[in-house]
Amino acid sequence: MRKIYDFLEQDTRAAGATRVLISTAFILIIWQLVSLVVTNRLLLVPPLEVATALVREFQQGAMATNAWATVTAVVSSFIVSVMIGVAIGLALASSRFLSLTGGPVLSALNSVPIIALAPLFVAWLGLGFASKFVLVLLVAVFPVVVTTEAGLRATDKPLIEAAQSFNASRWQIFTTVTFPYALPFIVSGVRVAWARALVGIVVAEFFGSFAGFGFAIMSASQTFDTARVLGYVILLGAMGLIGSVAFAALERRLAPWRLE
Amino acid sequence: MKPHLQIRAVDKTFNRAGKASVEALRGIDLSIAEGEFVSIVGASGSGKSTLLRIIDGLLAPTAGSVLVDGQLVRRPGADRAMVFQQDSLLPWKTVTENVGYGLTLAHKPKEEVARIAQRFVDLTGLRGFEGHYPHQLSGGMRQRVNVARALAVDPRILLLDEPFAALDAQTREIMQTELLSIWQSTRKTVLLITHQIDEAVFLSDRVVVFSARPGQVREEVTVDLPRPRTLALKREPAFVALVDHIWKLIEAEVRAGVEQGA
Ligand SMILES: Nc1ncnc2c1ncn2[C@@H]1O[C@H](COP(=O)(O)OP(=O)(O)OP(=O)(O)O)[C@@H](O)[C@H]1O
Ligand SMILES: [Mg+2]
Repeated sequence: MRKIYDFLEQDTRAAGATRVLISTAFILIIWQLVSLVVTNRLLLVPPLEVATALVREFQQGAMATNAWATVTAVVSSFIVSVMIGVAIGLALASSRFLSLTGGPVLSALNSVPIIALAPLFVAWLGLGFASKFVLVLLVAVFPVVVTTEAGLRATDKPLIEAAQSFNASRWQIFTTVTFPYALPFIVSGVRVAWARALVGIVVAEFFGSFAGFGFAIMSASQTFDTARVLGYVILLGAMGLIGSVAFAALERRLAPWRLE
Repeated sequence: MKPHLQIRAVDKTFNRAGKASVEALRGIDLSIAEGEFVSIVGASGSGKSTLLRIIDGLLAPTAGSVLVDGQLVRRPGADRAMVFQQDSLLPWKTVTENVGYGLTLAHKPKEEVARIAQRFVDLTGLRGFEGHYPHQLSGGMRQRVNVARALAVDPRILLLDEPFAALDAQTREIMQTELLSIWQSTRKTVLLITHQIDEAVFLSDRVVVFSARPGQVREEVTVDLPRPRTLALKREPAFVALVDHIWKLIEAEVRAGVEQGA
């Protein structure tokens, strides 16, 4: 038993994969057990049926169409929002004026539930890529802005002073001290942004599109095809999980000193 | 001897918006010769770090001036290097990269940086730890890296702000003797701040005693104990007498400070 714990606590890829496998198996078992009790198939379908539905979607090609629509929109918008978020964060951190005047506006915007504006965006930008792109951008950009600014401002004063004492230019201080210091903060913001982007894309697709995971979930639930609904939700969950694990690993790699 | 580092009538007052201003230094006059080892001791808050920052060029004095070989100091320069009171190594750089940091900033070629960094890694006894990151080192080793980083840029004046404060007594004594031998082999001008009076006396040619805030030079004590010095010196009556004398000066200052409510 001790040995098993020792293995699971390791920070290796094998241990990480085992942890994920165990928790997945656990969920599957509970799910199976619950679906033995809840026999109304409109409410819950057992895991195997969901898998079958996914395979069928895959064979019919619907899954590829939906995946293409969702992934292109969410990934391109996510990348753009990270770039814009870092740029705004840099601007806020480097200018007191901007941060004093722009900061409150941004935090006001951040506390508005932008998701709720999805129907409006669809009305403005039409059904399809553009409305998805803009909605995802708006929900994903804020965590990156906030963590970029916070990370840049959090830099230890003594580190900056040491660089200055070696006669470093402002640009050198930025590239060798403040930016490396902020990088793990930024990545943690990016991780949150990815999770938000997935929510954003699904909601955007609920309201306005003819393809995508959100669209598939919406149309399946209108025909009471619970197996397909759950299948696509699981796919989205997997995308979220992969992103979260990857960004967390990147964060650890960039800042191993923060673990100790 | 012609003064190498000259501090002339330096005042420093910190003015902060909305708060009471703090007079940290008043009328500091000091002359330090080339190759001399001088220590500054004084109560906490007496402006020692502030003076070192002014000499390094990180802070501008409110009045007065700092001259190196007759040249006015306006900003940090290659002729001075500082070891800070706080931990200031870059956590994402290895020992070698940290030691070479000043050289990298000065746009020295990569091979030269690596070669010089290695020399100071060896000199400060860090061999075998070149690829380690600061968080993997002990406090003593981190301070070695700090000293090596300052030495690597080959400054003429080394400014040390309580470099051994965080170390245990044994490591501290080892570091003191190592600093002495480095100083003897490189012949740099050293200005050291410390709270340990015996450390100041052991290392220095001269000990400058600061009064409590605002910092003023209370007394300059010449240490004419023979060199090279070993730890055995710390038990000699002449050494003990000097430590005692300086201790009494500071004690009076600290007491006065406490009575002022500082
Ligand atoms: N940037 C600053 N702004 C305002 N006040 C400051 C600043 N730096 C130092 N002071 C004040 O100046 C005084 C002297 O500080 P300094 O750090 O030079 O003292 P010190 O002698 O080095 O003390 P210690 O032995 O504790 O390191 C203190 O009262 C401190 O609060
Ligand atoms: Mg100090």
